[in-house]
Amino acid sequence: MSVLAVQDLRVGFRDGTLAVRGISLDLGHGETLGLVGESGCGKSVTSLAVMGLLARGAARTAAGIRLAGEDIARASERRMAQLRGDRIAMIFQEPMTSLNPAYTVGDQLSEVYRRHRGAGRLQARDRAADLLARVGIANPGLRLAQYPHELSGGLRQRVMIAMALMCEPDVLIADEPTTALDVTVQAQILRLLQDLQKETGLAILLITHDLGVVARMADRVSVMYAGEIVESGTAEALFGRPMHPYTRGLLDSIPVPGKLRPGDQLKAIPGTVPRITAAFRGCGFRDRCGLADRGCEDTIMPREEGPQHRYLCRLSSELQGQAS
Amino acid sequence: MTALIDEAGPAVSVRGLRRDFVRGGGLLSTHATVRAVDGVSFDVSHGEVLGIVGESGSGKSTLARLITGLLRPTAGDVRIAGRSLAEADRRQRARLIQQVFQDPYSSLNPTQRVRDIVALPLVAQGDVPREERARRVSEMLALVGLDPAVGERYPGQMSGGQRQRVAIARALVLKPRIVVCDEPTSALDVSVQAQILNLLQALRRELNLTLVFISHNLAVVEHIATHVAVMYLGRIVEAAPTAELFGSPRHPYTAALLQSVLTPEPGKGIPRIPLGEGFPDPAAIPPGCRFHPRCPSALPACADASPPLRVDAGHLVECILAPETASREATSQVHAGLGP
Ligand SMILES: Nc1ncnc2c1ncn2[C@@H]1O[C@H](COP(=O)(O)OP(=O)(O)O)[C@@H](O)[C@H]1O
Ligand SMILES: Nc1ncnc2c1ncn2[C@@H]1O[C@H](COP(=O)(O)OP(=O)(O)O)[C@@H](O)[C@H]1O
Ligand SMILES: [Mg+2]
Ligand SMILES: [Mg+2]
Repeated sequence: MSVLAVQDLRVGFRDGTLAVRGISLDLGHGETLGLVGESGCGKSVTSLAVMGLLARGAARTAAGIRLAGEDIARASERRMAQLRGDRIAMIFQEPMTSLNPAYTVGDQLSEVYRRHRGAGRLQARDRAADLLARVGIANPGLRLAQYPHELSGGLRQRVMIAMALMCEPDVLIADEPTTALDVTVQAQILRLLQDLQKETGLAILLITHDLGVVARMADRVSVMYAGEIVESGTAEALFGRPMHPYTRGLLDSIPVPGKLRPGDQLKAIPGTVPRITAAFRGCGFRDRCGLADRGCEDTIMPREEGPQHRYLCRLSSELQGQAS
Repeated sequence: MTALIDEAGPAVSVRGLRRDFVRGGGLLSTHATVRAVDGVSFDVSHGEVLGIVGESGSGKSTLARLITGLLRPTAGDVRIAGRSLAEADRRQRARLIQQVFQDPYSSLNPTQRVRDIVALPLVAQGDVPREERARRVSEMLALVGLDPAVGERYPGQMSGGQRQRVAIARALVLKPRIVVCDEPTSALDVSVQAQILNLLQALRRELNLTLVFISHNLAVVEHIATHVAVMYLGRIVEAAPTAELFGSPRHPYTAALLQSVLTPEPGKGIPRIPLGEGFPDPAAIPPGCRFHPRCPSALPACADASPPLRVDAGHLVECILAPETASREATSQVHAGLGP
């Protein structure tokens, strides 16, 4: 059973930009879904749309956004405020987005628990100390009394995760949670998320541009390009048999130790992500694609490459096997 | 101009380099000395690419700025193609060595046209005629794969990748032999990163450039560097030719860094990194081996004395645990050449 089911989500801005163009996502209990793509593809707008946190002036429509069975696409702001931080929580690349520099770590963590659970001061403190220990912080008592700026980047990230998990949410949306961290700390934080997920059955929507992070973390992956999911499948299928030229382009563009010989060129994707408005038809990737022809200017029908493995390209299946 | 270049010796030679900063001193905090770079020595031969890796705060950017002369050392000496930076004036320095920075958004003046940005180092030389400057700028823009027409644009009208090409054009316009790149692709998407890495590779070959390439991305460094140095709290704790360092790391810190690289292989999971939570602070460098509080293999002795520098066929490592066989102990004053 899915804990988060998003159907046909669309987001447009006042300037005519269509940032999200009819995407569907499905996230099961204890599962990690990776949402991957270059910057500007619409990943953050997607997550904010699900959380009901879009900026004023953004227009959101959806056939449904179901959180543990409840359709939150039509929920009131009051109801969303109850759910956020309780049933669905979010963490960001920059921990100071969620942490307030003026309050101690202990006060901020406690406040979440008291607001949603009506807990008393002491009970909330205990819960906060417990969560800090759970996220691998060695001296919770000391950290509770500190202000965010007194902590290293890695510790702040852990505190933000602890805060997101205070009420044991069903769903955690993690938007580039480790992008700003050193690789050793990144591995420690991701490992921590995996361990917590095993313990609690947390469902994670992991948003990142880092293919290594998605490959290692996600059960299933959706590749986003110009507001659409252009390919989705299990991590094995998607990395083992990428079908969309954009997915292949991303995979070919990153250096992998031991894969190339010294002096070899990487395969770059020419051009940049286009801005898409209402008049646009056809494949959003066609201007950067080596396969594209006139037919790519018409609406693209989804294709299947196996159970659960779908992609939006009319040309690549014929060419699969030629090169990758 | 050619008299500046010593072809026989190393392109970059650094000895005993140190740089202190004073931190704090506000109302509530007391002054603390931050030792950002703490006794670094190495050589880079002409045509090599020295990759420098290490976590944030380890002193990579400070080292870059010392090598290019943007920052003065507290102690030690930098020689570029045989010339001491301390003795060269600004204009000579600019012809010897240039730098490309991480952020193509803040490193280019937004109020200047691209052609003026690229021409600036030529203008600063003071003796390059206007027509010659215009010719050189067009030549440089073409070299980095930009349409010369973009010369009329402002940085705000360009993508991140295009801006980084402009920054590279500016760095090359005086035909330096050495370019220091500090995280040049870290702010870019992977597809654009690939374009910039390919460009640097091609330029390096065409112009026989020597590069110092700083990155926290080990896969990128493995791809582009001929030699790699690993920094930890201001020191180079290990250095070796790239394949050697990636194939047989000897310092426990290097090993942890390499383990942390997440290649796009599903099913492999997230590695457990055996490093403590402790976060390294250059204002309070631990005694003995500076890495010992986080080291999974530390011995009691590691807290007492600085680790020996061990050198074995171009592979340097500062660790008491490194194999002593076939290595010789060296003093800290050793000529720690990274070249072949
Ligand atoms: N408030 C806004 N007004 C107009 N356009 C916006 C706004 N927020 C985001 N966008 C646009 O939406 C697109 C998707 O942005 P985003 O979701 O942040 O991308 P990602 O997270 O994948 O990098 C981009 O083209 C961005 O410029
Ligand atoms: N201008 C400065 N004033 C004070 N401290 C500095 C200054 N520049 C760098 N530092 C300190 O020196 C240390 C090394 O910084 P840096 O060279 O930027 O490391 P890296 O590039 O490896 O992240 C850090 O602790 C940093 O705070
Ligand atoms: Mg984003
Ligand atoms: Mg730096």
